[in-house]
Amino acid sequence: MFLSPGNIAASSLQAAPLLTGTPASLARRSIGLFALPIGTFAGFAVAFVAALVVAFVAWRSLADRSEAANRVSHSLELIAQAQALLSAVQDAETGQRGYLLTGAERYLEPYTASLGQLDTGLARLRDLAGADPQHRQQIDKLASVVRDKMVEVDETIELQRRGQTDTALAIIRSDRGKIAMGRIRASIEALTRGENAALDTSQAEWQETIRVSSLVSTGGSAVLLLLIFVAAAAAARDYRAQRRQEWVRTGQVRLADAVAGERRLDLQADAVLSFLAEYLEARVGAMYVADSSGKLRRVAAYALGSGAAEPVGPGANLLAEAARGRKPVRIDDVPEGYLPVASGTGRAASRSVLIAPASADGVIQAVIELGFLRAVDAVDEELLGRIAEILGMAVRTAIDRQRVQELLKETQRQAEELQTQQEELRVSNEELEEQGRALKESQEILESQQAELEQTNSHLSAQSEMLERQNNALASAQSELGERAGELERSNMVKSEFLANMSHELRTPLNSTLILATLLADNKGGNLTAEQVKFAETISSAGNDLLALINDILDLSKLEAGKMDVVAEIVPVARAVDALRTTFEPMAAQRQLRFAASIDPAAPPSIETDAQRLAQILRNLIANALKFTDRGEVSLKVFAPDAAHVAFVVQDTGVGIAPGQQSVIFEAFRQADGSTHRKHGGTGLGLSISRDLARLLGGDISLQSEPGAGSTFTLTLPRHFAPPAAAALAAGTPAAAAGRTVAAPAPPTFDDDRAKLKADARLILVIEDDPRFAGILRDLAHEMDFQCVVAHSASEGLAAATSYRPSAILLDMNLPDHSGLGVLDQLKRNPLTRHIPVHVASVDDYSREAMELGAVGYALKPVKRDDLIAALKGLEAKFSQGLRHVLVVEDDARQLESITRLLELEDVRIVGVSSGSEALTRLQASTFDCMVMDLNLPDLSGYELLEKMASREDVSFPPVIVYTGRSLTRDEEQRLRRHSKSIIIKDARSPERLLDEVTLFLHQVESTLPPERQRMLRDARNRESALEGRRILVVEDDVRNIFALSSVLEPKGAHVTIARNGREALEALEKNPAGSAEAIDLVLMDIMMPEMDGYTAMREIRKRAEWKKLPIIALTAKAMKDDQEKCLAAGANDYIAKPLDVEKLLSLVRVWMPK
Amino acid sequence: MDAEVEAGAGATRDFEIERKLLVDAIYLKYHYDFRAYAGASMKRRLGAAMTHFGCATLSQLQDRVLHEPPLFPQLLDFLTVQVSEMFRDPAYFLALRESVVPLLRTYPSLKVWVAGCSSGEEAYSIAILLREEGLLARTLIYATDINPQALKQAEAGVYDIDRMPAFTENHRRSGARSSLSDFYSAAYGRAALDKSMKKHIVFSDHSLATDSVFAEVQLVSCRNVLIYFDRALQDRAVGLFAEALCRKGFLGIGSKESIRFSSHADAFDELVPSERIYQKRGAG
Repeated sequence: MFLSPGNIAASSLQAAPLLTGTPASLARRSIGLFALPIGTFAGFAVAFVAALVVAFVAWRSLADRSEAANRVSHSLELIAQAQALLSAVQDAETGQRGYLLTGAERYLEPYTASLGQLDTGLARLRDLAGADPQHRQQIDKLASVVRDKMVEVDETIELQRRGQTDTALAIIRSDRGKIAMGRIRASIEALTRGENAALDTSQAEWQETIRVSSLVSTGGSAVLLLLIFVAAAAAARDYRAQRRQEWVRTGQVRLADAVAGERRLDLQADAVLSFLAEYLEARVGAMYVADSSGKLRRVAAYALGSGAAEPVGPGANLLAEAARGRKPVRIDDVPEGYLPVASGTGRAASRSVLIAPASADGVIQAVIELGFLRAVDAVDEELLGRIAEILGMAVRTAIDRQRVQELLKETQRQAEELQTQQEELRVSNEELEEQGRALKESQEILESQQAELEQTNSHLSAQSEMLERQNNALASAQSELGERAGELERSNMVKSEFLANMSHELRTPLNSTLILATLLADNKGGNLTAEQVKFAETISSAGNDLLALINDILDLSKLEAGKMDVVAEIVPVARAVDALRTTFEPMAAQRQLRFAASIDPAAPPSIETDAQRLAQILRNLIANALKFTDRGEVSLKVFAPDAAHVAFVVQDTGVGIAPGQQSVIFEAFRQADGSTHRKHGGTGLGLSISRDLARLLGGDISLQSEPGAGSTFTLTLPRHFAPPAAAALAAGTPAAAAGRTVAAPAPPTFDDDRAKLKADARLILVIEDDPRFAGILRDLAHEMDFQCVVAHSASEGLAAATSYRPSAILLDMNLPDHSGLGVLDQLKRNPLTRHIPVHVASVDDYSREAMELGAVGYALKPVKRDDLIAALKGLEAKFSQGLRHVLVVEDDARQLESITRLLELEDVRIVGVSSGSEALTRLQASTFDCMVMDLNLPDLSGYELLEKMASREDVSFPPVIVYTGRSLTRDEEQRLRRHSKSIIIKDARSPERLLDEVTLFLHQVESTLPPERQRMLRDARNRESALEGRRILVVEDDVRNIFALSSVLEPKGAHVTIARNGREALEALEKNPAGSAEAIDLVLMDIMMPEMDGYTAMREIRKRAEWKKLPIIALTAKAMKDDQEKCLAAGANDYIAKPLDVEKLLSLVRVWMPK
Repeated sequence: MDAEVEAGAGATRDFEIERKLLVDAIYLKYHYDFRAYAGASMKRRLGAAMTHFGCATLSQLQDRVLHEPPLFPQLLDFLTVQVSEMFRDPAYFLALRESVVPLLRTYPSLKVWVAGCSSGEEAYSIAILLREEGLLARTLIYATDINPQALKQAEAGVYDIDRMPAFTENHRRSGARSSLSDFYSAAYGRAALDKSMKKHIVFSDHSLATDSVFAEVQLVSCRNVLIYFDRALQDRAVGLFAEALCRKGFLGIGSKESIRFSSHADAFDELVPSERIYQKRGAG
């Protein structure tokens, strides 16, 4: 009969409850009578018959014995009765004789007594004789002789009474009585004799019966015993067979379980193979699946090296033979090297090998090959034979499923393709309509234009010819010009370079000359004459003049080459004038001159220009004035000639300049009088440089003077410096963000426990690239009875964490491929590894970041052994601690109750408090895994509570979830976000979210370090001098990023100001102007923002003179190079791509932070 | 006959080579990455472009694209399919209203990412929906596309008045709580959308092929965009969405699209299967 595989599977499944069921159910199964095997049944039947026979025989012998006993007692009574009768007759005779002798009536007593006895005795004898004719005859005879005797007695007694004593005596003498008596005696004797014989016979019979019955019981018992033995043996055999069957069936059922569910073929094969290996105790195995061409392809291997996995053709080897033969092939005495079993320490050949095919509907689907270290028996083979169909079906189903999956994918692709076509059709449709309309319109226009065109065409061709010619001429002129400009540029460059080199060459020897001359002039040794000292002073002053000259020449050449940079900033006028006053007042006093400086009240308080250059010009002018004035005063006045300009007037009462000389003095290397400089010193370049500088700043210098009446130099500058349009200044130098691309070193082979892991033991994963430290950690772990696996890189560590699922992780921060923080973050994001406590060790301090990411502890390298032990103990405490604590802060009792109800999970202890101060007390007393809080509290506002928690060192700070009914403004949200991980607005669906968020945070645990230890960490190590106290403006719209950035920057001591878009950024910069204590030192600028994007914001910032030098780092999600160039073009100093790499960001901030 | 078939196959192969070269050229020169766009559709659109620009082969088109930069924006219009309408597939918006909005209410502030916003209809539709639900005030919508032309149009928010009746009907069927006409004013044959909504929308250039995630969002709506991508790029895009979404955030895609075969399929649960609205799984 053909059985479909479905039926088989179904019947095996139905059998399952029976096989795995309780004894009761087994009993239920055998309720059906005659469900016994024939042999057992026959045994029982024989035993039953034997017992019946024994019982019957025993019963019969009992009956016989009681019958014999009856007979004996009967005979004995008969004899007794007969004797009694005899004695009664004798009594009667005794009485007769006594009476006859005496005549006394009293002697008749025995006679009368015996009369009754005789009758009853005879009746009894008759009774006892029953129906026995012989007895009856004897008794009748006895009765008759007794009657004869009694007649004789009666006769004599009657005669006596009548007094005829002699007659009576005669009768006696006739011996009639004696004869009768003798006959009575004989009769009784005969009866007694007969009965005695019967008695003997009965006794013999009795003995016989006893013998037979004991014989039968012994024999019967022996037969029963024998049968019991036979039955026991049969039952044992049946039980063993049943166990084997059960094992096979359990195997079938469990295999059916193992292949149930939708799985890919390879996973299915793995499941099958590992199940079979385990169930059959095979030590090595492989599974092959037949493809459409009938070749067998290996899809899974168990404890088998990835050896040759060549597809096997039909009939090529034993696999194929097994497949063709449709039944398992068994090989015992396997030769060496065949299907070897290998472990870490050795390898050996399998003792036997089983190859079993699996088919579905008669088509071979797969072949399984298993190697054993034990001998294979028939049951193994049977199991493999039985599962063939299930396995075949499973394989075929998996293959079919794969095919269906591919078809589905294809269908999806086609659906998408269809949709794209539809979309495109819509587009072209719209376009067509649009074009139709446009065409109609343009047709009309075209027609009218046609005529015009034809007319103008002729004109045009003539004009274009002319243009062509002109163009050619222009082009050649342009190229010529270009060449010239190039030459000029080159020569200029050569000149500047020469000057720069030269001045350097000059300065070096000059410098030592100056120092030595000063030393000489000091005359420390006291061995120089006054004259020699004077010489030395002259050398020194001449040297200084030379130095000034060189500097001036350099300035001048720079100015000429247009290489002088202008750095515009806000310059407070009063401060600039004060500085000059401080410098020049002593000098003027030395020369007995007055120096007066005044600012017109109408003058603007500050101007926007290059402060350094302004000072240089004014110093030049004033120094010049002092030089050329012998008496009187030099004055500086500041006033505003008009709304757009500021004038600085330097007036002296010196020699004055003749009108003819006035234009010359501004030319380089010229002074009014060639001799003057010898008298007054100076290079004569000062005025020239001053004027050029003034022009560079967008102003000019004018001069009014008359010889002898002093001179007045007026410097006029625009109030706001406007750079020449063409000369836009490139802002900063884009330093290509230095990415850390250290090639990961090949991980050194490390001796850890991964090869010998015990499933139940506690395992620590050490992620550490330094093999020495890793070794220390491993040894320590062993010492504390942990197993230890060591990973040398972040990626290896993550892989190990997911595959080994350690109880705890020790993590280094500096790994060759990724930062440890990244690893920690990924560990905490992965639901498989999130619960694993992580302890961090590092040379650098990232404790706060690490803690926030969910590390349980942080150790700074070098770590002391005791600290490590404490860390391991902490980890142990963490992973063995089951109970989680949640603090709920909510003043409404009902709400508190409902939240508590909502969060009542297993292993969660909820502490509810109704005020902020209570919450603080609780947080001080113990740590919580998560805190849920309302914003409206009776004593403190939610914000205050959070801020208190953040500022106080003695309270723990678990992840906080704000659960509030208030809608929040963006500012409020931002404020909360700094301290809370999640904000939930109470609404219909909010409980669901609350539960979800709490569940998440319960797995991320705050530090277990004691509070003072935490404070120490924060205080001593968290600050970084580069960022300490610096102000950073974060212009970013995304709350997640804001939070991330502040949590990176703030621990380093930086003050973070937040702006959510370009406009707010500008406002923030305005509010904290340069020079003030609150001034922003650095800006982190997001690009994609509402209202004003990052590009615009940076351009706006760069427009302002005082923010020209403000470092800006752009944060961009765009990856293309030109996007980043766009950032630089808009004014960023540098950029960093999102998602943000903390390391990289910090190093960039350090680089760009002004020192 | 056979020769013809062979010639046809040869031409197809050549076209394929040229297509690869062209998209590489575009990528290198203009940094637009069309390398992973689905082949068949790309082929058709390039065919249309060739006809439009009068090029006999793709190589000619490539030559022109490389050496005539002004041509590129026009070609971009051919390569990106810009078609949309407001409240397209009203059932989708109805599902957003019924199944997504109630959960969005629990967030203090909201971010929505409309990826591939084309000329902005979808972004405005979501803005209108959120305003009707009283959520727009705390919402910021990022509307991104790779076509700057389309973005400009989107930012303007001005549409042909002829399209408005269809939009109004769609809006009505999306479970509207008000009239669409409350959100635009019409003049000169055009309808301009309410400017106050634009305050809540950031239009920005963003490529799902090359760029990364820029913000954490609660809802991503990216409809009829994935169909133009090949499997790998679809994977990347869905990966970006998964990364951008907060835990339990929402993803809506087009009616013919599916993330079932994406490698990120496990990151999402189906929320409204008929409208292809998914919810990101909470970790654990």
